[in-house]
Amino acid sequence: MKVIYLITLIFFSIFFTIFETSLVYADDLKSPTFEIQMSTINITGGAKSSTTYKLTDTVGQTFQGQFNSAGYVILTGFQYINTLIPFSFKISDLDINFGSLVPGIPSLLSNTLTITTGSAFGYAVKAIEDHPLRRSDGITTIPDTSCDLATPCLQTDANVWSDNTRFGFGYNMSGVDVNTADFINSTYYRPFPVENIDQPAIVMSKGGVATSSAATVTYKINISGSQAAGTYQNAIQFIAIPAF
Amino acid sequence: MTKKIFITTLCLITFAILLPKHVSAANYGMSISPPLLRVHIKPGKSITQVYKIENLSNNDKTLVAAIVPFTESDNFGNPVLNPKTTAPWLSYFSLANSEIKFNKPFSIPAGSSEQLILSLSVPETAPLKDIYVTLIVSTYENSLDQTFQGSALRATIGSNLLITISSQAYPDTILRIEGFYPAKGAVIRIGNLYFADSITPLKFTATVTNEGNFAAETKGVFRVVSGKNKPVYLEGILPVNIIAKSQRQLLNTNGDTFEFSPSLGNIGPHQLSLEIKTDNSNTTSTIDIIFFPLKLSLGLLISLLIIISIIKITSKTPEKST
Repeated sequence: MKVIYLITLIFFSIFFTIFETSLVYADDLKSPTFEIQMSTINITGGAKSSTTYKLTDTVGQTFQGQFNSAGYVILTGFQYINTLIPFSFKISDLDINFGSLVPGIPSLLSNTLTITTGSAFGYAVKAIEDHPLRRSDGITTIPDTSCDLATPCLQTDANVWSDNTRFGFGYNMSGVDVNTADFINSTYYRPFPVENIDQPAIVMSKGGVATSSAATVTYKINISGSQAAGTYQNAIQFIAIPAF
Repeated sequence: MTKKIFITTLCLITFAILLPKHVSAANYGMSISPPLLRVHIKPGKSITQVYKIENLSNNDKTLVAAIVPFTESDNFGNPVLNPKTTAPWLSYFSLANSEIKFNKPFSIPAGSSEQLILSLSVPETAPLKDIYVTLIVSTYENSLDQTFQGSALRATIGSNLLITISSQAYPDTILRIEGFYPAKGAVIRIGNLYFADSITPLKFTATVTNEGNFAAETKGVFRVVSGKNKPVYLEGILPVNIIAKSQRQLLNTNGDTFEFSPSLGNIGPHQLSLEIKTDNSNTTSTIDIIFFPLKLSLGLLISLLIIISIIKITSKTPEKST
């Protein structure tokens, strides 16, 4: 009897939990992050907030009025970022000088890229080389890496390069705003895309504000014993552009 | 005494010459402001905009400024630059500086800044359309030392300009919201209906496509209403620019995907909507979700089974024979 009573009680509890009309109170209306934005030319404005709303506004001539009278309207930056800090890009070292290379023994060098988006919202840093590392004769090159035979890599798809019998030139990325799903660890490398042939490859990116986001680029060369003697050079360009 | 002074001076000079000097590697640091310029302009009008370029590195830099057009971007608003592209409208742009011109080297000393005065003059006969460019400032390439073996790095920094040439303030925009789906969470889909647990947070992804010929901004809201049309949750959409014939991911004002955390009271049918309102058009995408206490019911069911099992075991315990 007690068991039947208990089951009935639990059954009714579940029934009322599912079918009871839910009560929605006015204070359930959540808008702490809602922003109202107006297309006006600034005379005054700013951020206003209370416990239940946040409003950024501008007061002045309307967009339409300004356009009609002056014939143009200029909007700079992003309204939702209240800062005058500029978009900045730093590279710790511009000279990646490997010096003498030993066949079969990889040479590694690294530097750091640092981005502050400041008044921008999001960015991408892309990389491209003018040509593979090339001797002054303009013909002989150290090829761009294709990584290990079992784990081939592409310009936008890093893979393992740990076999010292695989020769070439490539790079690894680590740190903030790096695609760690691609550069899984320090053994993952990519070849640089080549100017006039390929599109630059994204090496760092973020869809939001970045403050001193720093990433390390590790450059790796491994040459074969048959690589012709000489000095091999190229230029790598890093392009940092804010998103819009 | 004179001999001692002479020897000491000689030693000091020798050490000063032979001691290793602190040599800092050539680094790069540059900033640009503003990072974005949005211009609506009538044909026949001109504007100027000052860009501040600051050399943050520890040595003087020789730079080159250029205008590079683009027509595409990725889903996050990163332009795909076409340095080789030429267009007749590139002649609309010029630098009003007396000494700095496009594609000509200029120098900024370490720790100093320079202003680039960009001028845009749209001729009366200019076609009414959008033009998108990036003002880039690159390090000027010097020839490498012949003993240098490796890579010499160049750096480029840029700022985007989205320009609408139109005779009206608000040219027509055509936006379409696509792929508005729950990203992850306890969701079961039957036809166009989703069933979700009433205490599990749900994330939603969506993209917006600009099918028009002019850039637009994604101003709007993510809204959740109950079956009785009562508002339950409201969140702003991050207002970002979407250029013509392109697609962008929609995000909330924090730059994240949309998230709704239902409470115990959110049971039954709910409608979730993304609403974008531009100056001359609206677009909305909705999904219907029925929230039910799946986890709570399962918990109660398991508890019930355990209680029944305990009662059964207890009632079957044989009494001790006296």
